[in-house]
Amino acid sequence: MKKRYWKFFSVLAGLSLVLSACTSSTSSNDKGKKTEQTAPKEDIGNFPMTVKNDGKIVDGVLTYGLVSDTPFEGTLNYAFYTGQPDAEILQFFDESLFRTNGDYEITNDGAATYELSADKKTMTIKIKDNVKWHDGEPVKAEDLEYAYLVIGNKDYTGVRYGDALMQDIVGMDEYHSGKASTISGIKVIDEKTLTITWKHANPSVLTGIWAYPLPKHYLKDIPIKQLAQSDKIRKNPIGFGPFKVKKIVPGESVEMVRNDDYYGGKPNLKGVIVKVVSPKVVLQSLKKGEIDLAEFPTDQYVGAKGTKNIQFVGKIDLAYNYIGFKLGHWDAKKQENVMDNPKFQNKKLRQAMAYAIDNKSVGDKLYHGLRFPATTLIPPSFPGYHDKEAKGYSYDPEKAKKLLDEAGYKDKDGDGLREDPNGKKFTIHFLSMSGSDVAEPLAKFYMQCWKDVGLDVQLVDGRLAEFNSFYDMVEKDDPKVDVFAAAWGTGTDVDPYGLYGRNVMFNYSRWVNEKNDELLEKGHSEQAFDKEYRKKVYNEWQALMNEEVPVIPTLYRSALYAVNNRVKNFTVDPSSKLTWKDVGVTAEKPEVE
Amino acid sequence: MVKFILRRIVMMIPQLFILSVLIFLLAKAMPGDALTGQLANNPKMDAQTLAEMREKLGLNDPLYVQYTRWIKNLLHGDLGMSYVHQQPVTDLLAGRMWNTILLSVCILVLTYAIAVPLGVISGRWQDSWADKLIVGYSYVSFATPLFIFALIMLFLFGFKLGWFPTGGSVDIQLEEGTWEYYISKFNHLLLPSLSGALISTVGIIQYLRSEIIDTKVKDFVRTARAKGVPEAKIYSRHILRNSFLPIAAFLGYEITGLIGGSVFLESIFSYPGIGQLFLQSIMQRDYSVVTALVMISGLATLVGTLLSDIILSAVDPRIRIE
Repeated sequence: MKKRYWKFFSVLAGLSLVLSACTSSTSSNDKGKKTEQTAPKEDIGNFPMTVKNDGKIVDGVLTYGLVSDTPFEGTLNYAFYTGQPDAEILQFFDESLFRTNGDYEITNDGAATYELSADKKTMTIKIKDNVKWHDGEPVKAEDLEYAYLVIGNKDYTGVRYGDALMQDIVGMDEYHSGKASTISGIKVIDEKTLTITWKHANPSVLTGIWAYPLPKHYLKDIPIKQLAQSDKIRKNPIGFGPFKVKKIVPGESVEMVRNDDYYGGKPNLKGVIVKVVSPKVVLQSLKKGEIDLAEFPTDQYVGAKGTKNIQFVGKIDLAYNYIGFKLGHWDAKKQENVMDNPKFQNKKLRQAMAYAIDNKSVGDKLYHGLRFPATTLIPPSFPGYHDKEAKGYSYDPEKAKKLLDEAGYKDKDGDGLREDPNGKKFTIHFLSMSGSDVAEPLAKFYMQCWKDVGLDVQLVDGRLAEFNSFYDMVEKDDPKVDVFAAAWGTGTDVDPYGLYGRNVMFNYSRWVNEKNDELLEKGHSEQAFDKEYRKKVYNEWQALMNEEVPVIPTLYRSALYAVNNRVKNFTVDPSSKLTWKDVGVTAEKPEVE
Repeated sequence: MVKFILRRIVMMIPQLFILSVLIFLLAKAMPGDALTGQLANNPKMDAQTLAEMREKLGLNDPLYVQYTRWIKNLLHGDLGMSYVHQQPVTDLLAGRMWNTILLSVCILVLTYAIAVPLGVISGRWQDSWADKLIVGYSYVSFATPLFIFALIMLFLFGFKLGWFPTGGSVDIQLEEGTWEYYISKFNHLLLPSLSGALISTVGIIQYLRSEIIDTKVKDFVRTARAKGVPEAKIYSRHILRNSFLPIAAFLGYEITGLIGGSVFLESIFSYPGIGQLFLQSIMQRDYSVVTALVMISGLATLVGTLLSDIILSAVDPRIRIE
């Protein structure tokens, strides 16, 4: 209990520090710097990515905590799941045919090898001979074809068809609309070989290709419409991963045992138990050794630091927070963004608003440094493409004021707030989401920062918006919204087209720009298979986005895992070759604090 | 009596109909739908596919079309598909309902087991130190929020003392159907139900206490005393029997609560039940689950009040339903 209160107070304390940091900006920002030193601050760069353990591995069972407030949904299949907890269960018993490297690109180390044709439009996939489903049947080329046939089918109930690479396959349209009974671009050559042909050459195929086969022999009798609800997916799912599902208590826990026939070799663990643990008690469960491993809520880290029986590993998340400007609307008929909202067309106004906010204080005070200022729209978790040189927008209220003056936003009636260039009252309506503990202080802080440079920013409808209302307003371009704070998970595909393209609905700011079109097109062209070229293009794109700021990148995030000391070979490093097969324990029982 | 019950049951039909219209419209009035914003973590989606999925789910049809479709299915016993869980609502509820009922029955039994003796003691020995203690406890428990209390109980008895398992409904490694399996299930139930029961006793204690205090100064009690009936007998025969009447009637309503579940207990103890499901379904706009749950609890409330009336007329000869 103490901890809960402590957390509450620390939030309050953090808030007061943060607010003081921003209000003090009238006397330049050296006061802000002073307060920075008083708060405890973490740095994700100091966390190891792989656990340290030199012990000898013994035959044991690992308990994995699924940190969630709600029971898991139990749609245990890659083609159908939507909830993150389901994915965390899936990773133990099923996997992609491909392993990936540090840039999340497929390699030939996994259950299959691939080769691209000279024009980069056709991929030949060869599944290795010893790869078997848990029921002993070999994994065949037709299993992967079946996955595409299911996802492309009009009766399919999941969300994977929205993937651009999926729809770009030759003949997919015809199959999806029911004009063809097979996909002409996917050919099964022999039992273990298959080719996939796309209409366009796109380097994203290396990160985004669908390589999760479905066990056709096991599932083919179930109508596609009923696959997701079938017992063969919910109660007795099979895969070809290192562990086999033995038993499921719906919504609560899953027991898995070692798959001795795993193609990668015998897994070190005898079994894995996955169980749901409430975020409120996850630390206690870890201390008592009731769970060995869990993705740890970063907001609890400061209270958990120094716990003797666990170690923390961490990395930068594939996500970023941002503040977007509404610059137009989405034309659903033409499937195009139209930039017709005059309010924020002036680039200097957008830049000024970016300079005005102190993201460093937000990261340090509200997130203890486990979120930190974002500099570009490609997070550092893409080490090959994130532009380390980019400065982004650091806190500089004086510069913000200067930019506003230049743009003609001046305080003409002397009330301390700026009017628009025509001398009319200028109020900005800010949409921010409720939900987290710090949602309120965060929104207030940003508004205070903008007020400090003379901008009158008010919350839309005077309050924070609940998740659904928030996205409803953003997606429908509600005219009440001028500016909104949101976040994107990027997935492992670096291509930002899906979020910022001209013809993409998720380009919520509705910003369109010819240079942007050109760069995004180049970024997923055939030429971009050359990594150096692609990097250059994306560096240029990051610079363009920072110059134009249709959205302000605000914070990058960290992901932490808490791991019991007896666990060996667990890593969050995407470039590591260690997998769940290698994870082991060096003691029969978990260490207890 | 039979006529009365029949009339009440016939009355339920329009009541449920109105409820169905209301809940359907209210559910649809919530901003967004099951597909809104769910893709914030899945950028691999495009507008056409999204539109196609909305069409497939029937979300683009006019409201009255959606309503007739839903009510038609409902009359056939089909509660629809849960979008979030990708499974029929009936299957989903069947799994969770059993857990919830088990937990609620446990809480109910424990509540009565704790509250009835305490209520009797404090009523009989009014103003004694025991009475003061009990009344004090009942007020404190009334003021204690469940989510704090359950956490304290869990930390104390689950983590510090280790007397109880700390989450879930059963130990997954035990073979289903064995003795250990049922013991484990029971063990997992105890702590959450104790947490729930200890702070929901106030109603029964106070009812019972004031009934006893009222009854013990009534004329018939004085008469019995004057006749020389022993004090113990006066209580067991005369006072308690009369004082239990409102408590018995209360029971009917309690049954209504059995299927509601508890959001806090379920989330703190990672216990898959109805309460969490309801909350999650509202948050994620899983309409079919929301409407199904409201309809079921609406029906349960109507049946519960009917039961209350029946129990009351059965135990109290002064009340006769014609």
